[in-house]
Amino acid sequence: MMNRFWMATALAALMATPAVSETFRWASTTDPQTMDPHAVSSTPVLGFLNNVYEGLVRRGRDMSIEPALATAWEPLPEGAGWRFTLREGVTFHDGAAFTAEDVRFSYERAASEQSDVRSWFAPVTDLVVVDEYTIDILTRSPQPIFPDSIANWMIMDSGWAEANGAAGVARDAENFATLNANGTGAFRLVSRQPDLETILEPFEGWWGEVEHNITRAIFTPIQNDATAVAALLSGEIDMINPVPVQDADRIDAGDGVLVLRGIETRVIMLGFAHDHETLQNGAPNPFRDVQVRGAVAQAVNVDAILQTIMRGSAEPASQLVPPSARGFSTAQDTRPVLDPDAARAALAEAGYPDGFEFTLSCTNDRYINDEAVCQAIVGMLAQVGLRATLEAGPVSNYWPELRAGNFDMYLLGWSPGTFDAEHPLRFLVHTAGESLGTWNFGGYSNPRIDALLPMIQSEIDEDARQAMLDEAAAIVQDDMVYVPLYVEPLLWGVRNGVTLTQRPDNFFILRWVSVD
Amino acid sequence: MFSYILRRIAQSVLVLFVVGLVAFAMFRFVGDPVETMLGQERTVEDIERLRENLGLNDPFFVQYANFLLRAAQGDLGISYRQGRPVAEIIAERLPATLELAAVSGAFALILGIVLGIFTAIRRNGFAANAIMTLSLIGVSLPTFLIGILLIYLFAVELSWLPSFGRGEVVQLGGWSTGFLTQSGLVALILPAITLGLYQMTLIMRLVRSEMLEVMRQDYIRFARARGLSQRAIHFRHALKNTLVPVITVTGLQLGSIIAFAIITETVFQWPGVGLLFINAIQFVDIPVMAAYLMLISVMFVGINLAVDLLYVAIDPRLRS
Repeated sequence: MMNRFWMATALAALMATPAVSETFRWASTTDPQTMDPHAVSSTPVLGFLNNVYEGLVRRGRDMSIEPALATAWEPLPEGAGWRFTLREGVTFHDGAAFTAEDVRFSYERAASEQSDVRSWFAPVTDLVVVDEYTIDILTRSPQPIFPDSIANWMIMDSGWAEANGAAGVARDAENFATLNANGTGAFRLVSRQPDLETILEPFEGWWGEVEHNITRAIFTPIQNDATAVAALLSGEIDMINPVPVQDADRIDAGDGVLVLRGIETRVIMLGFAHDHETLQNGAPNPFRDVQVRGAVAQAVNVDAILQTIMRGSAEPASQLVPPSARGFSTAQDTRPVLDPDAARAALAEAGYPDGFEFTLSCTNDRYINDEAVCQAIVGMLAQVGLRATLEAGPVSNYWPELRAGNFDMYLLGWSPGTFDAEHPLRFLVHTAGESLGTWNFGGYSNPRIDALLPMIQSEIDEDARQAMLDEAAAIVQDDMVYVPLYVEPLLWGVRNGVTLTQRPDNFFILRWVSVD
Repeated sequence: MFSYILRRIAQSVLVLFVVGLVAFAMFRFVGDPVETMLGQERTVEDIERLRENLGLNDPFFVQYANFLLRAAQGDLGISYRQGRPVAEIIAERLPATLELAAVSGAFALILGIVLGIFTAIRRNGFAANAIMTLSLIGVSLPTFLIGILLIYLFAVELSWLPSFGRGEVVQLGGWSTGFLTQSGLVALILPAITLGLYQMTLIMRLVRSEMLEVMRQDYIRFARARGLSQRAIHFRHALKNTLVPVITVTGLQLGSIIAFAIITETVFQWPGVGLLFINAIQFVDIPVMAAYLMLISVMFVGINLAVDLLYVAIDPRLRS
């Protein structure tokens, strides 16, 4: 009798414990190469580490800047820099207290020569510790969007880094911070097996308000799209990023899984060899003529590309940044209209009534369906007499080829790291040089743009800044420096019951996940 | 005899050197590692400094010589992608590949011999014909497709087996094994079939034709005339003589099982050296590519050397 009673109690106790385990498993094609937040500036690394480390500021669900390790910030008088007030009572995962010294240490580490994020600190001259919870970041010139540009600058515990010999960033030697992490983020790194499995667990001592209900999060890289889709369908994985465009509808039709669609920040565009005398085939270079570049814009049917190749998942782009970005020019929000007849007429007027032959360079493993998009463009251009030969190759060879000038027209995707319209001007449009215009392969050069850029960078007044960005956007459009095509989609597959936020920079933030 | 062995070893070493040289000459065409290592906001100065630090400005034979010098001291360099010692990474990943190769090799050998004998003995039976027809699939379908089909059938539709990964592994010293856990063993099934199917059909067809050949020999006829049982004829006399070429081919195929594992490992996200190599190519991770290619060529050369030496042991005519 007593036995039976105990058994019943035990059974009841067993049933009372929740049956659902809140272990969350997710997969992506790329493993973050390192756990060191200053060693590699790439989306997989920064996106992953945003769960473990934190910056002074962070981006919210809509990419807006919000307080993180700093509770407030204000510009110093006369544009000398910014003052940040640090959050008190924050501890790192190992229990060490967060102070201004850690910020100072992380600045020195991130701005060092070996760091891959040092460009964020290019305008910075010094970081001054005012008191334990106040710092001043001094800049060469006024920096209106400085807080935006350091949203991914993550703070590392100075004591931990020094004790483990990880005070510096190393690319050609082993470093403790490559496999281990000690941040202040909502999740702490429990185990790290590169390319295999990385396990995170909620950090009990996190300062913020917990919105998720995960007890354990396991990340596995799955490189092959088809395998990742199979793992999602079979229930072994709760979320995959990305879902191949062509599989999205099929997954949606399946039981228990769905596709979340969003828009990324990456604009896909066509670039031209502006400063080449001749094409690759030796003929004079027609792309020097703005009419010819305009004809290309009128000949490419972006809507058709989005309908067929992107299956309706992307949005047309009019500028080098998506509409959601800061500094987007609403005044210049029109794309060239599809008009093959006008394109033919423009070509005839430019002296090419029969068109001409050239090569279109393209990646085949970098952007979503990049090669298929290029093939479609070749067909569309052929209709107005522009006979392109497609040269598609892997991205590892692509940038060296472009840098060497071996192209006539090329496909490029650009994601503005600061989420601001100034970013593409700095890297894609400014005259090519040591640190500016480093991705301006075509050699476009316009003194007005070169004059506008430093003014935009240091203009504190919002309206004056926007006016200059509008002017720059108009120049880029009028000169047909690039032909923006579309903004890439975000396609994530989840099993039913998982709610999360797709941030446009393709960062997956675990603290916005809930599972039932 | 001794000079023969010495000569073969010298030839093997020469082959290794040439493989390394060709590999290093080709790395330049894979792409520029610096482009993939640095983020989009890099400056020209960053690119130049990193290239200099990594020794990428040296001619390829100098890079090769440096690699050999360091490799001779047991240092295979630091992976560009992971920033960790290559030797450590390969040691982590090799057990996965070797276990998969061993299981699929065993699967191919055992099933290949059994089915080969069966189809040879019942050469006109319905089942034997069906097996022969089906075996065409094993030869003609690409590994990639077979893997995906198996995943969809057994992981997605039936939910019997996992679609990716190695399951739970147990660390034994420096060796991670999947043989000791249930999930580890279950995870081996689909990749092993995918990887071994081609070899299995190859061995099966080889055993079958050899067996048919042997069955026509006079001594089998005499054995029949002596009134031996079918069983004794098939297994004691015929099979034994069939196995010599089978062992040769199997030995040589073992190397290619490890090399073919690249595709199977990619499909099943199997964390072995093949997947590591694919990642290395995409990232232009030269130290990992170099180490992998050297490892594979050492393996191939070693197996060939062993086979050659076995011949000497088996065939007295080579010893004179």
